[in-house]
Amino acid sequence: MPKVIKAYVRYVDALNRRLGIAVMYLIFVMMGLLLFASLTRYVLHIPLVWVIEMSQFLMAAYYILGGPYSMQLGSHVRMDVLYERWRPKTQGFWDSLTAMVMIFYLVVLFRGGFASTVYSLEYGQRNYSAWAPLMWPIKAIMTAGIGLMILQTISIFFKDLAKFMERDIA
Amino acid sequence: MSYELMAVLMFTSMILMLMTGQRVFGAIGFVASVFALSLWGNGAVEMPFSSAITLLNWYPMLTLPMFVYMGYMLSESGIASDLYRMFHVWSGPMAGGLAIGTILLMVAISAMNGLSVAGMAIGATIALPELLRRNYDKVMVTGVIQAGSSLGILIPPSVVLVLYGMIARQPVGQLWLAGVFPGLMMAGMFIVYIWIRCKLQPHMGPPLSLEERQQISTGEKFRLLKAGLMPLGVILTMTVLFMSGATSLVESSAVGAALATGIAGYKRRITREVMRATLTKSLGVSCMFMWVILAALAFGAVFDGLGAVKAIEILFLDKWGLSPWEVLLLMQLTYILMGMFLDDTAMLIIVAPLYVPLIIALGFNPIWYGVLYTITCQIAYLTPPFGYNLFLMRAMAPPEITLVDIYKSVVPFVIIMITALVIIMMFPQIALWLPEHVYVGK
Repeated sequence: MPKVIKAYVRYVDALNRRLGIAVMYLIFVMMGLLLFASLTRYVLHIPLVWVIEMSQFLMAAYYILGGPYSMQLGSHVRMDVLYERWRPKTQGFWDSLTAMVMIFYLVVLFRGGFASTVYSLEYGQRNYSAWAPLMWPIKAIMTAGIGLMILQTISIFFKDLAKFMERDIA
Repeated sequence: MSYELMAVLMFTSMILMLMTGQRVFGAIGFVASVFALSLWGNGAVEMPFSSAITLLNWYPMLTLPMFVYMGYMLSESGIASDLYRMFHVWSGPMAGGLAIGTILLMVAISAMNGLSVAGMAIGATIALPELLRRNYDKVMVTGVIQAGSSLGILIPPSVVLVLYGMIARQPVGQLWLAGVFPGLMMAGMFIVYIWIRCKLQPHMGPPLSLEERQQISTGEKFRLLKAGLMPLGVILTMTVLFMSGATSLVESSAVGAALATGIAGYKRRITREVMRATLTKSLGVSCMFMWVILAALAFGAVFDGLGAVKAIEILFLDKWGLSPWEVLLLMQLTYILMGMFLDDTAMLIIVAPLYVPLIIALGFNPIWYGVLYTITCQIAYLTPPFGYNLFLMRAMAPPEITLVDIYKSVVPFVIIMITALVIIMMFPQIALWLPEHVYVGK
């Protein structure tokens, strides 16, 4: 495969891997936050109104920013009834074709996310709750994560193509 | 083009896309966005993203990463294998005792884990070799592990019921409570089956030999009991906190995850590798579920917009003139059939938006149906030719277990599960008694 492609794959993979490894520790933050909230409520009788939403935001960041790395890990299920029996070349052929399909979906998601973020920014949209947090920061994070997911899918497309063409990509 | 035809087309194209073997979330999300855009034009471009917001606002979803983490923490750190040792030593002297102990182990693991994979992994890698070494019948024990681990999605915490709760808009706490008695009943039926089978055919499950029993001192036995009781204490703490209303559902899951980490730390089992494996696997599995749900929600929204559910309802009730119970039976039947040929995760998410509104329209209790749905899902996991557990088993089991053994092994257990399904259909109180009598906060 051409050098540019190899470099792209290397950089995008490295970026998303680092991000994913950082993001996976968010689970402790969520855990700690929830424990803290139940303690303050139960022991000190102080309900923390912001905890529910904050932990929801963290979870959204967790799975969306972690998404690209989970693709690298090969965690996503496929319907492998036929797929499993194909030769690597055939798998590469279909995967590189259907990677486009996945990119299409992610681009629609991204466009929606972008429009929604812009809207929230313009009107200063807040969540309907006691805490009423501004919505644009989390939407911006989610949209950025979807963008990284697109970059990762393109990298995966190149790998699938290399598998189909039986070329080296590392 | 009529909306009915569009719905059929949408469903077909999804199946075709899934057949290509592309990641399920990509395939489903693509079909959803293409149909949304072609039906409603550019205005629908925000539809897939709005399901991300729906997902963001679904608070009980936080239990998913928590319980996935907890399950991996217990299995990676080897605490779950302590639990196996305990059941092994204590139930070994009975006829078929090790197999019965394995079912009990699976119940305990199910109560700490929302999926069936963890039980499967522990069963196939730790319990299975031990059972084979003691001359248990290999077909029977393969079935025991598969059926036992499938309880993971019925006994709370259950990830399947979290998904169901989201799609059906039902409180997850109630759904989980509804799963308790059906799950225990099914485990009880498995145990009775094993016990009778081993009484009639003693060679299938010989008790531990006298010398092997004497090798383990009474002190050792109690030490194992203590080690095993610790994870059971985690379950108890979570349950008490949740049932008394001290912590919410989500907070209880965080307590469970923290306690599991605490125990592993106390036993000095947390190494760098254990932590890394736990965190990586938790991220991977959580992301997998979340992205599939994200895509499936968009799919469901488009499907709903087409009025597909209404069309099916009219077809069943008015055109075919079926009674609600006939519709219910037909649904369960098609569900089991689909489960044989479709990927289970995908099926789970496709079927719920189709069936659940129908169930509510027919006047059935959606909590009760959640239990039926989960049991059917368990059956689908086990039924050949394409069951999720079947593949896992083949991947994890020792080489002397062939695919034919695996296929043969599930037959009696599937029959038991179908019996359980029918019993719960006839007596909804088995599922509904607990959620109706226990107050649960959100």
